[in-house]
Amino acid sequence: MEVRDTDILMSDQSAVSLDQAYKLRVNGLNFYYGSFQALHDISVNAEKNRITAFIGPSGCGKSTFLRTLNRMHEETPEARVEGEVLLDGESVFDREISELRRSVGMVFQRSTPFPKSIFENIAYGLRIRGVDSSLISGLVEQSLKRANLWEEVKDKLKKSASGLSGGQQQRLCIARALAVNPEVLLLDEPCSALDPIGTSKIEELLLEIKESCTIVIVTHNMQQAARVSDYTGFFLSGKLIEFNNTKSIFETPSSKLTEDYITGRFG
Amino acid sequence: MASKHKTSSRTGNWRKWRGVLGFGLTGVATLISLGALFSILGYLIHQGIGAINWNFIVREPAAVGEAGGGIAPSLLGTLILVSISMVVGIPLGIGVGIYLSEIAGGTRFASVARIAINTFIGVPSIIMGIFVYFILVKPTNTFSAIAGGLALGIIMIPIIARTTEDVLRLVPKSIREAGLAIGAPKWRVTFDLVLPAARAGVITGGILAVARVAGETAPLILTALGNEYYPTSLFKPIDEITLRILKYARGPYDVWHQQAYGAALILVFGVALGSLLLRLSTRDHDALSR
Ligand SMILES: Nc1ncnc2c1ncn2[C@@H]1O[C@H](COP(=O)(O)OP(=O)(O)OP(=O)(O)O)[C@@H](O)[C@H]1O
Ligand SMILES: [Mg+2]
Repeated sequence: MEVRDTDILMSDQSAVSLDQAYKLRVNGLNFYYGSFQALHDISVNAEKNRITAFIGPSGCGKSTFLRTLNRMHEETPEARVEGEVLLDGESVFDREISELRRSVGMVFQRSTPFPKSIFENIAYGLRIRGVDSSLISGLVEQSLKRANLWEEVKDKLKKSASGLSGGQQQRLCIARALAVNPEVLLLDEPCSALDPIGTSKIEELLLEIKESCTIVIVTHNMQQAARVSDYTGFFLSGKLIEFNNTKSIFETPSSKLTEDYITGRFG
Repeated sequence: MASKHKTSSRTGNWRKWRGVLGFGLTGVATLISLGALFSILGYLIHQGIGAINWNFIVREPAAVGEAGGGIAPSLLGTLILVSISMVVGIPLGIGVGIYLSEIAGGTRFASVARIAINTFIGVPSIIMGIFVYFILVKPTNTFSAIAGGLALGIIMIPIIARTTEDVLRLVPKSIREAGLAIGAPKWRVTFDLVLPAARAGVITGGILAVARVAGETAPLILTALGNEYYPTSLFKPIDEITLRILKYARGPYDVWHQQAYGAALILVFGVALGSLLLRLSTRDHDALSR
């Protein structure tokens, strides 16, 4: 099922094959906040149309890692990266930044609806993209449907988004990200502020959208990683301790550290 | 042991008395200050109310030293000068505020600019008057509404820049990042998302700056000069209410003195009305954001 690095590295066209198998590839990534090194030599790949989860204790660098994938770290003045991040084999650092972020969408821990109406929250991204205005309301509806939110909001599209529940706001943010048709969707602890029902709605949604999108999710919640993801990586103190398919990580972790973490011995 | 106890209770007593004394003094200070302010107001009303009538508001000044006439050109001139100052001060001030908050951020240039802005907020306004006098009035050899409005506009810039920067910084970073994350370029995030989120604060800052310059005299002596008649051109001297007060108060006639008080009274009530409206409008905004 899964493609192992080593299998492909045997072949002559290793680079080409890797790019076909993996949507995102990270090689030798070091990350610094000023003189503090937050990530150490991270190399990992994310497979196309799969959900890749990253778990680990607070402060281990999960958000930092995720934010390098769409170059959101560039909003932090003292941040600096070394190493490669490739999207379809092309360095994200060579892409025009706005255009990169349309291909690589992001959903944050705290839902962040814009101070606009529900409709405008989604339409805004389309307008930015120069989508013809006659198409916008159709696309807004389609995105809300994809995010399983349409039935709940179709009668109050003109109302302010801040009136929605936390779970609805988070699905609105997902709809907003989906509206511009991203190839990759990054989610940073999207359910940490939600109740179990809100959480399971998001999880169902992720399983649906992975058909059309490559998903990378950071989570504190190990059950969540186990439930939704195909691959899981375990971060500790800025290092990627272990990365494997989710079943192996949770059933037969090869590192003692991973085992201690998932059995709840620390963190 | 025992002696130690004594000392500490004595200190305790002294502390208590010091507290009472301190609060007593603040009470006295409040009484004196409010007393002074209210006697000024009472005096203004007493001396000036007799000058105020319909003609005072809609007429041009009477011939020198004669009774009657009004301050209509000064009121109109004030309106024109403040309008010009807004055209100059609001876009530039908001622009500087946006630049410092959203673009220059923590750079060395920004810290220097912030020090300069804070300094200019405190600089006596006559300095702006002198500046405009030498760059505009003297070269063109004419006092004018444009020169006066420009001086007032320059006074507004640092005030508006400062408040704009402050309120923009209060907009949560998460809104900016959410905008960038959907691929909006930074300038669109600033104008479409950040500025609207800070709108109430930016408007309040603008109103405060307008209120501040509406009562300026010193820079206008060197730029707008004053005028007995209705304004006919932006390139000619123009009157303003505090200039009128100055002229009448210094003049030798009793009618002038009374009219100076009348004009001052109108100015005070204008400012009071303005700050009341400001209060009401900001309260509305607070209620909305809740
Ligand atoms: N802007 C910053 N400046 C300096 N250090 C930072 C900054 N942001 C994060 N760090 C540090 O980098 C390390 C990794 O932070 P990061 O936010 O990536 O952790 P995380 O795994 O996402 O934690 P959490 O689960 O609590 O969200 C932490 O030690 C943190 O203190
Ligand atoms: Mg985090």
